[in-house]
Amino acid sequence: MTVRNLTALAPLIIVSATALAVMMAAALRRNHAAAALMTLGGIAAAFASLRAAAVLRPLAIGSSEAGQLLVIDGYGLFFMGLILLGSAAVVVLAHGYLERQAEHREEFYILLLVAVLGSMTLAASSHFVSFFLGLEILSVALYAMNAYLRARAISLEAGIKYLVLAAASATFLLFGMALLYAEFGTMSFDYLAGQMTAGIYPNRAMVTGGIALMVTGFGFKLALAPFHLWTPDIYEGAPAPVTAFVATVSKGAMFALLLRYFYSTGAYRLHSVFVVLAIIAAASMLAGNLGALLQNNLKRILAYSSIAHMGYVLVAFLAAGDLGPEAVTFYLIAYFITTLAAFGVVTALSPADRDAGRLGDFEGLIWKRPALGGVLTLALFSLAGIPATAGFFAKFYVVAAGADSGIWRLIILLVLTSVVGLFYYLRVLVAVFSRPLESRELAPQVPFASAFVLAGLSALLVWVGVFPGTILRAVKAAVGSLRY
Amino acid sequence: MLDLVWLIPALPLAGFLLLALFGPRLSRRAVALVGAGVVLASAVVSWLVAYSFLTSPPPGASYTQNLWTWMDVAGFQPRMALYLDPLSLVMMLVVTSVGFLIHWYSTEFMAGDEGYSRFFAYMNIFVASMLVLILGDNLLLLYLGWEGVGLSSYLLIGFWYTDPANGRAARKAFYVTRVGDTAMSVGLFLLFTQFGTLQIQDLMRKAHDQWGMVPPGGIATAAGLLLLGGACGKSAQLPLQVWLPDAMAGPTPTSALIHAATMVTAGVYLIARTHVLFEISPTAELAVAVVGAATLIVAGFSAMTQWDIKKSLAFSTISQIGYMFLALGVGAWSAAIFHFVTHAFFKALLFLGAGIVIEACHHEHSMFKMGGLRKELPVAFWTFTIGGCSLAGLPLVTAGFYSKGLIIWSAYASKGGALGLWAAAVFGALLTSIYTFRMIFLTFFGEAKSEVVKRPGTAMKVPVMILAFFAVVAGFVETPGFLGGVRVFSDFMSQALPDAVPRGSLAMSEWGSEAVVTLVFFAGLVIAYYFFLKKPALQEFVTAPAAGRALHRFWFSDWGMDWLYDKVFVQPILWFARINKSDFIDAFYGAVAAVTRALWVILRSTQTGRVRWYAAVVVAGTVLFVALALYL
Repeated sequence: MTVRNLTALAPLIIVSATALAVMMAAALRRNHAAAALMTLGGIAAAFASLRAAAVLRPLAIGSSEAGQLLVIDGYGLFFMGLILLGSAAVVVLAHGYLERQAEHREEFYILLLVAVLGSMTLAASSHFVSFFLGLEILSVALYAMNAYLRARAISLEAGIKYLVLAAASATFLLFGMALLYAEFGTMSFDYLAGQMTAGIYPNRAMVTGGIALMVTGFGFKLALAPFHLWTPDIYEGAPAPVTAFVATVSKGAMFALLLRYFYSTGAYRLHSVFVVLAIIAAASMLAGNLGALLQNNLKRILAYSSIAHMGYVLVAFLAAGDLGPEAVTFYLIAYFITTLAAFGVVTALSPADRDAGRLGDFEGLIWKRPALGGVLTLALFSLAGIPATAGFFAKFYVVAAGADSGIWRLIILLVLTSVVGLFYYLRVLVAVFSRPLESRELAPQVPFASAFVLAGLSALLVWVGVFPGTILRAVKAAVGSLRY
Repeated sequence: MLDLVWLIPALPLAGFLLLALFGPRLSRRAVALVGAGVVLASAVVSWLVAYSFLTSPPPGASYTQNLWTWMDVAGFQPRMALYLDPLSLVMMLVVTSVGFLIHWYSTEFMAGDEGYSRFFAYMNIFVASMLVLILGDNLLLLYLGWEGVGLSSYLLIGFWYTDPANGRAARKAFYVTRVGDTAMSVGLFLLFTQFGTLQIQDLMRKAHDQWGMVPPGGIATAAGLLLLGGACGKSAQLPLQVWLPDAMAGPTPTSALIHAATMVTAGVYLIARTHVLFEISPTAELAVAVVGAATLIVAGFSAMTQWDIKKSLAFSTISQIGYMFLALGVGAWSAAIFHFVTHAFFKALLFLGAGIVIEACHHEHSMFKMGGLRKELPVAFWTFTIGGCSLAGLPLVTAGFYSKGLIIWSAYASKGGALGLWAAAVFGALLTSIYTFRMIFLTFFGEAKSEVVKRPGTAMKVPVMILAFFAVVAGFVETPGFLGGVRVFSDFMSQALPDAVPRGSLAMSEWGSEAVVTLVFFAGLVIAYYFFLKKPALQEFVTAPAAGRALHRFWFSDWGMDWLYDKVFVQPILWFARINKSDFIDAFYGAVAAVTRALWVILRSTQTGRVRWYAAVVVAGTVLFVALALYL
């Protein structure tokens, strides 16, 4: 380990150290605010260290004959930054949420930091080993986070379901990796890329079959159809801040890896892989948008909506050329902002004994809580892709990328299913804007920090929708460093 | 200083947002202060910008302010940019200055109205949209402004929405202009697909390079005619003029600002802005001239027969915009803009004067129930008369004389001119003179038929006096050769619009043309005097015979075009809607919805909540995809 390596790894190291520090602090003396503050501080420090790491890029870490484990490049650092910012928002929202709970609260932040560590590892990994390690670090933390509110049966159920299904799909992933290793004798993306682009595969079945098995692992984590069935149950059952994390950070990290893996190995150019991914994208858009249609629980609606949105991202992913990865990255940013805002409102509105979710909970929100109602309206507009919000521009980008590479059937399906999507987003808005019949129990006042985060997210939503230029340049620079 | 341009549309927009969000909670004083204040600020900035533009002209006599690039995806780069050149500068000054005067007037005129803040919010968004339309550097902004003014026009016509008739008038205006808008958007798409750029100046350059060299193809003509269609809708020209008389249902300041001075001239702006297309295609250019000439006569006859003072003014507006179109059609670009400027002053003045009169007479619109108001409302009388003289073209001293005289002369002398067009324009001038003095005589002379219940205060008197001043002096910036030959206006405009090209061998001099115009002015005055003041019995004499009465009714009803459109378009559509109550197109969408719902039911059944089933689906999916991967 050289100083260079340590500097490059600083973001990861700082997050790990913070997790340990929070654990020690909780052991000495429980203090919720201190734990949250330490977590935020750690995340901020990690974020600040990205800049130092950026000077060194690109830098391969852990190089050996087996290949490099991690690569710290502009692309990876960009996604780490996105993960850290998203996590910071989740921490603030979670603090307000956990204040109302009787559980031990401090451990939540340890789990969250571990999950962040796993996500960041995924964003930087360029090797099957680091990939699987990152994935498991993330997943194991998520099992516990899903079931964090032990007193709630529905939370426990979510945790167990996620555990069983995630473990099962991870085995497919491992088996796929094994097949590829058996064929090529390497687990490094670089070596794989060299051999695959050279077209040297004695046994084609091993390669395409292996990739197809890996797709199951990806698909599960990203909640793509037909691996999506867990999503509504876990979204509904998990505590709202955890759902926000699962919906954004964990999926963003997975997509970061997916882009790197498929683009650097050129696997997406294989015809059969393309077809499989196209089917998955189409199935996800259909399953997500149709599933949400008459759903009466906002958390479940957002679950289905996330399935659909991941389908849209996959369409961008399948678009060839530079535009594809740019559209994916931009879409993920818009999706992070929007989803965090939506779940932020759910988190803020959740009373102590249950999570807000039923549409009834949101009836007349705009009249009772104009600010929260406004944020939710903006978020739903963005999810539906109404102009002047981040979601519109993101979708426009995806369509432009798709049209550019001529994948018309997917684009047309995207447009049609988006129309279906409009219906259920508007259904929520009808509830938000209807006159409340009776006054329902409401969560206490939104804490200042959460209000600040929600206001910031709403401002970002509009800013990215109206002036996408700045973000666009950053995305282009980041994707540009992803050499494939 | 030029970089302040963005403030000019931004200020009224800010006013709109402020009034829309907090209007109902503000006091009336604060509403008036915000509503009129932002337009005043915008006008001040306009004049500052204009001063800087004139004293230190930017290179190429144009200035582009790139605010931001909205997006940059796959070569599609719409910019949020403002473009300032003499054309947009002049229009911007008129819109903000006349706009402010009318806002000021409204602070008193609307004082008793419940929707005080709503009114100013709508007026502000109108001014903002109009400025975006004028200043936009690309088709996207142009279209945004175009639709924005359409929306605010709709909202203001139906401002008193509790009366269903006003709502109907608003919808009519919206539908009819929509016909033109559709033509225009097709035209804009056509231009975009041909040249691949949204920037208007780029587009014109490319059109000139690609289409200018070879004999014009069908596409250039088609694009020109489609844009003309849009212009006809917005500017109430034949055959889409039917909405403007009904638009008078809106508050009078609205009629003055939107339906006389500014918005209805958007079509003139559109054609002037895209003049390159019309220069390339003589067919399209001739069409503009013919539409203008026909409209000015048709509307002139109708204006003569109205009893409602505002409708008479509305037809007059249609007719005057016809003059502007005629000027555009014969290639006298700057003459059209000149007439736009003078018309904005005197027509806004006439409407505001009419507003004073109507308020004074218990909201009476009929000129035949007014009369003798000369003594009671001296300010209204004098200013209205000055405006009327300018409209009719009182020789030598009024602005209307110079601008209209220039158009009439150009209709004969410039490249696209012809004796027939000239004759039509002269005949239109006769009609103008008749209907203008008819209005003045009926309203202000004769015996008093109505008591005056409300006299205008300062906020209503001062703006009309300022407008009256400009209705006189605005003409002196451009005079014919034999009257000093001042060419300030056309020299300035020539930096943006080509000079009118004279055609060779003329049988008539400009002096002669102006003499004829002077003659018809006095002829109209005398006719109006005899018919409507001296011997009202003469009216009976003309309208008593069946033919006379029928003709009167025919002109009164806008040449029966409302009736015609009702029979040809409205009734068939209503009939179709009746027999098609359960819409067959709805059936299709209903089916889509039903299928979607059925799919939802199926999908829901997959959501069992059982982990073993979920796992089984994961496995099944994997098997399917592995099989696909292996055998594809």
